[in-house]
Amino acid sequence: MHCYRHPSCFKLKGMRKYLFITALAFFLFGESALASASDSNLTLPRIVYEGGNDNARPEGMRSLLAQIARRTSVEVNREPISLKLSDPNLFKYPFIYLGGDEAFEPFPESDLNVLRKYLSYGGFLFIDDNSAEADSGFDRSVRRMVTRLFPQMPLRNISRDHSVFRSFYLLNTVSGRAIINSYMEGISLKGRTVLMYSVNDQAGAWSRNKLGDWNFDMVAGGYRQRQLSIRLGINIILYALTLDYKKDMVHLPIILERLRRYQSP
Amino acid sequence: MNNLAKIFGFDPKEYDQWQLNWAPEDPWLIAVSFALITPLALWFFWTSLRRISSTPKKILLLSLRVLAFIFLLVILLRPELEVKKNHSLKNHIAILLDDSKSLSIKTFPKEIPRIDLVKETLEANKEYFEQLKKDFHVDTYYVSDGIKKTNSSLENYQAQRPYTNFANVLEELNKDYENKFLKGVFLFSDGADLTQESEDISQGILRPLSRINGPVHSLQAGSNDNFKDLALESVSAPDFGFVQQPVHLSLTVYSSALGNRNVPLVLKEGGRILVSKIIEIREDQKHYKVDLQFTPRKIGKRIYTLNLPRFAEESILTNNQREFEVDVARDRIRILHLNGRPSWDSRYLREVLANNPRVDLLSFFILRSLGDDVAAPTSELSLIPFPSNLLFDDYLSSFDLVIFQNFKYEPFIDKKYLTNIRNYVENGGAFLMIGGELSFQGGSYSRTPIEDILPVSFKETSTRFLNKDFHLQVNETFSNHPMLRLEKDLQLNQEVWEGLPSLHGTNLGLIANKDAHVLAEVETESGSPIPMLVAGEYGKGRTALLATDSVWNWSFRKSGGGGRYYQRFWNNIIDWLISEPQTRRLQLESDKDRYREEEQVLIKFKLLEKNYQPAVNATGRLTVSFCSSEVIAKDLKTDELGEQVFSFLPEETGFYEAEIEIENLKEKIMFSVLKDNAEFEKPLVNEFILKKIAQVSGGQYIELNGANDLSSIQFENPEIKIKSHSRSFSLWDNWWAYGCVVGFLFLDWWLRRKAGLS
Repeated sequence: MHCYRHPSCFKLKGMRKYLFITALAFFLFGESALASASDSNLTLPRIVYEGGNDNARPEGMRSLLAQIARRTSVEVNREPISLKLSDPNLFKYPFIYLGGDEAFEPFPESDLNVLRKYLSYGGFLFIDDNSAEADSGFDRSVRRMVTRLFPQMPLRNISRDHSVFRSFYLLNTVSGRAIINSYMEGISLKGRTVLMYSVNDQAGAWSRNKLGDWNFDMVAGGYRQRQLSIRLGINIILYALTLDYKKDMVHLPIILERLRRYQSP
Repeated sequence: MNNLAKIFGFDPKEYDQWQLNWAPEDPWLIAVSFALITPLALWFFWTSLRRISSTPKKILLLSLRVLAFIFLLVILLRPELEVKKNHSLKNHIAILLDDSKSLSIKTFPKEIPRIDLVKETLEANKEYFEQLKKDFHVDTYYVSDGIKKTNSSLENYQAQRPYTNFANVLEELNKDYENKFLKGVFLFSDGADLTQESEDISQGILRPLSRINGPVHSLQAGSNDNFKDLALESVSAPDFGFVQQPVHLSLTVYSSALGNRNVPLVLKEGGRILVSKIIEIREDQKHYKVDLQFTPRKIGKRIYTLNLPRFAEESILTNNQREFEVDVARDRIRILHLNGRPSWDSRYLREVLANNPRVDLLSFFILRSLGDDVAAPTSELSLIPFPSNLLFDDYLSSFDLVIFQNFKYEPFIDKKYLTNIRNYVENGGAFLMIGGELSFQGGSYSRTPIEDILPVSFKETSTRFLNKDFHLQVNETFSNHPMLRLEKDLQLNQEVWEGLPSLHGTNLGLIANKDAHVLAEVETESGSPIPMLVAGEYGKGRTALLATDSVWNWSFRKSGGGGRYYQRFWNNIIDWLISEPQTRRLQLESDKDRYREEEQVLIKFKLLEKNYQPAVNATGRLTVSFCSSEVIAKDLKTDELGEQVFSFLPEETGFYEAEIEIENLKEKIMFSVLKDNAEFEKPLVNEFILKKIAQVSGGQYIELNGANDLSSIQFENPEIKIKSHSRSFSLWDNWWAYGCVVGFLFLDWWLRRKAGLS
């Protein structure tokens, strides 16, 4: 296994740098700077499940949050949080991330009930296959889970005119660390997409360590592919936070003009 | 008769006729039965007399038996003698005088009102009608949409009734003469019955006409020759319109004998011209279809006037102007929603607003602040420039509500636009600030016009935003406040509030103004509660604030039906802020929007205290104005329900304004008292209908010129005799009738016994 793909492969140099910055921040801003921020701030909890590897990209969420904080006006809580679906605190976080690179055990029915309720009440689930393989064990587990979650609503390809492709960046591709599929899949309830699934290992493309080095190499792609993956990650978050805002009439003329003139690669 | 009078003892002068009446319903049946039975009985009787040899004796006995039978028959037929007195009656003639408003229209060539032609004709034929009265009962009626009997003096004859309906007139006439002998009718009218189509007469007229037992002579007042008029013949306007949405009018302009000219048609609201259009009037065309469109700018009942120029030569001037009323409402609530940054709080509120079919939402999220590095050229971003000039200069007044949610105005809005927002609220707009780190002091709103309009003042504190869990406490004083009514039942409402999920994050340093309504607050350890939901008024507008950015939890957690209550909470806030009628403390209404002449106007008002409980014994001043001058001013006190009613009879027709002022609150309504000028919409004389009435009933059609000789009109006058009084005498129910029967039978029996028969 390639060193970059395992969390234990942190470089010591990076660790020292991280500790130093943390200590400096503590000194400069005091406790309040790191205290729990507003309830409305964005937190991206990772879902913990039985079997498989639910933490295949341990720095994925934190890295994405850092990019969101850097590029957008969204206020974020950067502490990594992991939750079980049965955790009563689940309903504090309207966005959850479920990732992995191996097959996992089926969720108990009670957890699926909670998840169904969570999504119908306004929550959003992003599922990310970190295996970078087609038809992986994780993929099969996910599809089984989704079938049980919404038996009447199978996963469908998300069309290119979906708001997720224009919620911040104008995108016309689905990138990722490894481009297994050129599309994302999703499930919508009452016009709102509540679940998105990418098999392209998005978190792998987002992950970088505390010193700013990328944790995983891109598969058959370079800087541009990683940037597009980060942009997609930001768009997914912005979609969850603003839904179809970018389809409001006030935006359409400018967006359509830009799409026409500067087709984003 | 004298002999009968002597026999029966009555005064022969009192009666001039006698008559024999038979009482049984069918006397012929008795007579026939008797005629069949009697010969048989007599034959048996005759055969029983064989033993008597003397023929005269036999004949005597048979005669006695026949006489007995005759008297028995008389008793069975119960005859009565009726003596009676008769006298003659006169037949009736009805004169119907049209007193509808169209009779006031000037007619040519005399250029006098049509009604004057009628009066002149009646005057010119005075002798004829006097003569007619000698032979007939002549009844005079004023007719329009009904009939009203009057004397023949014509003192009160005026063209004043608002409608003409011949079908009703003839029906009522038939009813009036149900048991009388109506032998003819004079109908003085211009035939202008708006219920009838031109060149047609309805069954509604023909049916009662056929029941009149005599001719109806139509006497036409006025003619259409040289009839000059410019009129708004029909106006089709909707009763309801929506603010900022075009209202379409379609109307017909009528022109007659005015030559070729261009005339302006003007639509006004008060003195302000909204639309004008030039109509090209041509000699050979009478009707002109015109479509107009205007856009109401204010909510409420608005009164509009359509005007055509008035020319001196016109037959009628009143139809050159028409008023109509449109109740202008919001079609949708226009909301401008500015979000300082995407957050769960803003996402959930936007979802509520965007999914509300009543709301027309324009929302902006600040997705990128100045310090953010998007790492992409603008062309690869979906971001658009924030159109602050358009929003806060040009279109601000078009919004019903402006929401700043965790929004710091700098650098997106120039500070001068905050003054525009203050003016917007002062003039009736609504403003809501929702908490977060970028709100209130955090948004640099201290000592800005925004602080002026909000019902709080800002105090600088070391901590502006406290990240701590709390539970919102509803202020019991305001438990009736429309913003807090998640359930109608007060007890249930309280339970709902207590069951809502706790919140997290509070803006600090907000000091409620004296007249602010602190609807909800958070208890603190120090004892002084933090105002959380505060409402207030500024100028004509309303403002409110919510000092947290975490109410989205009420939707997401949904414990205790939170999702539904979350929506209701925001809908309540919006309704209150935009002053929906049910949220106003002072409510004023009239029982109708439009009154007819001489109709009582009823005005009702209701006052609620600040906490929305009925305000008892509060005195308010009600003023009613007509044409900008006060006609009624009265002090009225509210009852135990906080209500009071006032009624009055308007003296003038036109548009009225009622205003109530109590405790610095004012409410205004408009209502109209309108003349019925329908008669002038189609002012032409209807020759067809008058000719047809005359033709169908066998009468004459005459066009009046004021000097017509009506003496050729004659009516049938058959003699009518009618019994005035009578007296009856029974010819059978007396002793001698029975005595004769018994006597003849006894004599018969005695003679038979004497002759040796049984």
